[in-house]
Amino acid sequence: MTRPFLGFGLGLRTDHYQHVIDEKPQVDWFEIISENYMVPGGKPLANLDKIRKDYPMVMHGVSMSIGSTNPINMTYLQKLKTLIERVEPQWVSDHLCWTSVNDINSHDLLPLPYNEATIDHIVDRIKQTQDVLGRQMLIENLSSYVTYNNSDMPEWEFINEIAKRADCYILLDINNIFVSANNHHFEPEQYVNGIDSDRVMQFHLAGHSYNGDMIIDTHDHDVCDPVWDLYKYALGRFGAVSTMIERDDNIPPFDELRKELAIAEKIATKVLTSKQLKISGNVTLAGAA
Amino acid sequence: MSELHDLQHRFMDYLLQESVAIIDDIQSTSVLSAKDRLDIYASAYKLRLKEAITSDYGKVASYLGDDQFDQLMERYIEKHPSHTTNLRYFSINLPELVRDEAPFNSLAELYELACIERAFADSFDAKSIHFATLEELATIPEQAWETLQFKFQSSLQILWLEHNSFPIWKALAEDNVPPKLEKTTLIAWVLWRRSDLISHYKVLSEAEVAALDLALKGESFAVICEKLLDFFSEEETPIKAIGFLQSWLAEEMLESFNW
Repeated sequence: MTRPFLGFGLGLRTDHYQHVIDEKPQVDWFEIISENYMVPGGKPLANLDKIRKDYPMVMHGVSMSIGSTNPINMTYLQKLKTLIERVEPQWVSDHLCWTSVNDINSHDLLPLPYNEATIDHIVDRIKQTQDVLGRQMLIENLSSYVTYNNSDMPEWEFINEIAKRADCYILLDINNIFVSANNHHFEPEQYVNGIDSDRVMQFHLAGHSYNGDMIIDTHDHDVCDPVWDLYKYALGRFGAVSTMIERDDNIPPFDELRKELAIAEKIATKVLTSKQLKISGNVTLAGAA
Repeated sequence: MSELHDLQHRFMDYLLQESVAIIDDIQSTSVLSAKDRLDIYASAYKLRLKEAITSDYGKVASYLGDDQFDQLMERYIEKHPSHTTNLRYFSINLPELVRDEAPFNSLAELYELACIERAFADSFDAKSIHFATLEELATIPEQAWETLQFKFQSSLQILWLEHNSFPIWKALAEDNVPPKLEKTTLIAWVLWRRSDLISHYKVLSEAEVAALDLALKGESFAVICEKLLDFFSEEETPIKAIGFLQSWLAEEMLESFNW
């Protein structure tokens, strides 16, 4: 399929609700954290409904735990499906990771060993999940700080193989590639070159922090120049990909984030043609094959 | 997938209790050892849970001070590993830990403060379907009043407090110095969210809380009136009962009627 292009979006955060509702700032779309709205009612859902009327949305989860060896959490998936029916998002994503085991949740995005056995395990779970949700999903690459001894392939091969066999898409986090490249000593461009272009549906951009020689994916700073460079490189490789900035801590006023998003737009207009950057209409990813 | 399951189990054990079995599964590099790499996750685990607790119990944090609140969070994280996919619900059992365990249970008002904060959080995102109106009440046929039952907003909660914990909570919420702790008679407070999405609270009289308690349990208007005879004369009771009902409607506590 031709990759749909939503344009340039931001993560919807509570700090900005009132500004977005009152001012209706120009942003092509918003990404919401699914779990923040998997509640019975009240302000979170009321604000979500108001904002959804004016903007396209995609849903991004942090608790699916697709790589866990726990049974698939059907209660979670049903709640997610209920939210999907309410929001009618362009697409739904979560992380290629595990967050819980033995019914204990770490509330963190924990890495997986990159090997055939893990691929088999996850492909099966993504297929089941897509069947329940009735749609294809996106899986996102992590920032990681450890490498397992039983990993025997690069991360990009791991993610490609899962996307191909599960028939799902990839949410490529450019900052996470940069962070993991630093922490695991590979070239970030090698990662970008290794990803199957047909599977890439969305980009994430974010800031990070240094902890000695390690980089931690903190989402509490502006996007840094090397990540902007890698974004430019990725646009050259993949073409127009719906792009958004995640900011989860040290959150600036909305207008500052909007200015930062304008940098992404400016880079894209230098790399791509206006025809490539034409925004698609309403998008619905197919049910799982 | 038992190999992956065992690996995840060992990883989780490191997060929960720094059990070192996972270290042999992780590559060390010249830059950082396996243990130091795992410690990034262990630190983030605690930090994230502490942020969630602080967000839910900010007034308890202010009242206790940083050191004691940190001690409370450490205890909670140790005793209550998360079983929820949503961080919003992680700290839901904190009031009971405060009530049951030393040294926190030496401050009786602390349990009440924690209950107030939990009630506000539960009210904030409770489901609301409809707000019953006086006009709807007027449509109820006369013969239905005896069996009339009430459904309240799911945000509505009754808190029984025996200290001036609400004034303390209010002062902390406004960044003022809290009033001196006072023990009071047992007082019922009701907390609920109105259609403006703002949570409200007020003290209930003994008679009103008796009526509200029965109404919440699904008892009929007739049973409620009978209970109110403990507080009022036969002449006064119907007027008082209707007064309570009108007040619940005006204050948007009621969702619907059933008969």
